[in-house]
Amino acid sequence: MDEILLSVSDFVALTNQTLEYAYPVVQVEGEVAEFKVIQNKWVSFKLKDDGALVSCFASLFQMRIPLEDGMKVVVVASPRLNNKGFFTLNIKAVKPVGEGSIKKGFELLKSKLEKEGLFAPERKRALPRVPTRIAVVASTESAGYADFVKIINERWGGLDVEVAHTQVQGVPAPDQMIRAIRYFNSLEVLPEVLVIIRGGGSAEDLSTFNDEPLVRAIAESRIPTLVGVGHEVDHTLADMVSDVRAATPTNAAQILVPDKQEIIRSARSQANSVGYLLTQAIDNYSRQTKDNLSVAFQRIQQKLDDTFEQLGVLRVVVAQLNPENVLQRGYALLRGEQKVGSVIEIETFKNSITAEVQDVRSK
Amino acid sequence: MSEANKTVQEKLTDLSELVGWFQGASFKLEDALTKFKQAEGLAEDIEKDLTKLKNEIKIVKKKFDSET
Repeated sequence: MDEILLSVSDFVALTNQTLEYAYPVVQVEGEVAEFKVIQNKWVSFKLKDDGALVSCFASLFQMRIPLEDGMKVVVVASPRLNNKGFFTLNIKAVKPVGEGSIKKGFELLKSKLEKEGLFAPERKRALPRVPTRIAVVASTESAGYADFVKIINERWGGLDVEVAHTQVQGVPAPDQMIRAIRYFNSLEVLPEVLVIIRGGGSAEDLSTFNDEPLVRAIAESRIPTLVGVGHEVDHTLADMVSDVRAATPTNAAQILVPDKQEIIRSARSQANSVGYLLTQAIDNYSRQTKDNLSVAFQRIQQKLDDTFEQLGVLRVVVAQLNPENVLQRGYALLRGEQKVGSVIEIETFKNSITAEVQDVRSK
Repeated sequence: MSEANKTVQEKLTDLSELVGWFQGASFKLEDALTKFKQAEGLAEDIEKDLTKLKNEIKIVKKKFDSET
């Protein structure tokens, strides 16, 4: 090499070739310093530790989570010497490491998305009560997925479930999940619910679900989303932006479909309640009929009583008009022509008398 | 749609409607026994359907590790 004379450009090219051969991709951990966004397109910062410092360069779209000076990160990058003689790490991916930095990144992105209204309650869509076509994004090798499948099989039947197997942690995971979300959203007949699940893990594992493009892909989904990541205590931006948050994959299955045993109990109880209503209706009708008959009988009885009372009065009147009663009081009944010489019949209470008229005078 | 072709959800809706009929103004004793038998049949059907139905779980063949 001593004898090879190189131009500056050739030297830079040769150095880059050597770097590309020796270190095509490196992962470097350090603290972010002098973070800058240039022309809203590029990002530059220094990555430092106690003993050294290196420049980093990336396009803005490669930043999956907002950065700030002081955050501890791991960068996945290719080392390059640029034409101006500056050594840089060309960033492919950045992820915060350590609880403090992960939390910081989470809070920065949360605040940004909150300002855009992505977590607003009015954006939330309701899930169908009993969906039949379900799309799932999960790692089919994970315990969380196994729990989810076990619970939906126990709770409900007749579901058509399509599962996109993706990684759910590590650098490739967010993009794989984004592709799976887009795949389901591009289907001619959309599934009724899109479920994204992952079991418990470290804060670093779960930070996959705080990836900005992934969170945005969930927010943009035309299919209502149900996200169940980690345990009850874990909160990720993915579940905050989803239409419905489940605490765990098991809880996602419980939210997704009703429990068939409960439905069977409810159906039986409804049929029983109908039987009870029928018996009650029959009882009501027979009571009503009995009451109506009783009223009718009472009316007939009343009418009869009234009639008998009227009859009694008439009987008294009729009795008073009986001529015998008049004869009994000493009067007599006279039959025949009232002229001198005629024979007349006289009836008293006790006797019948035949007599001849001897004199007739006008009063 | 015949009763046999209805989904569990549709049968559940029918059952709720029957309960509603019994509680509503259009209730007629003459029709009540038929409706009661329908409700009993629906409850039995729902139980049978839910017990026998299995879920179909398919893994999408497409790979998601790259754009293609």
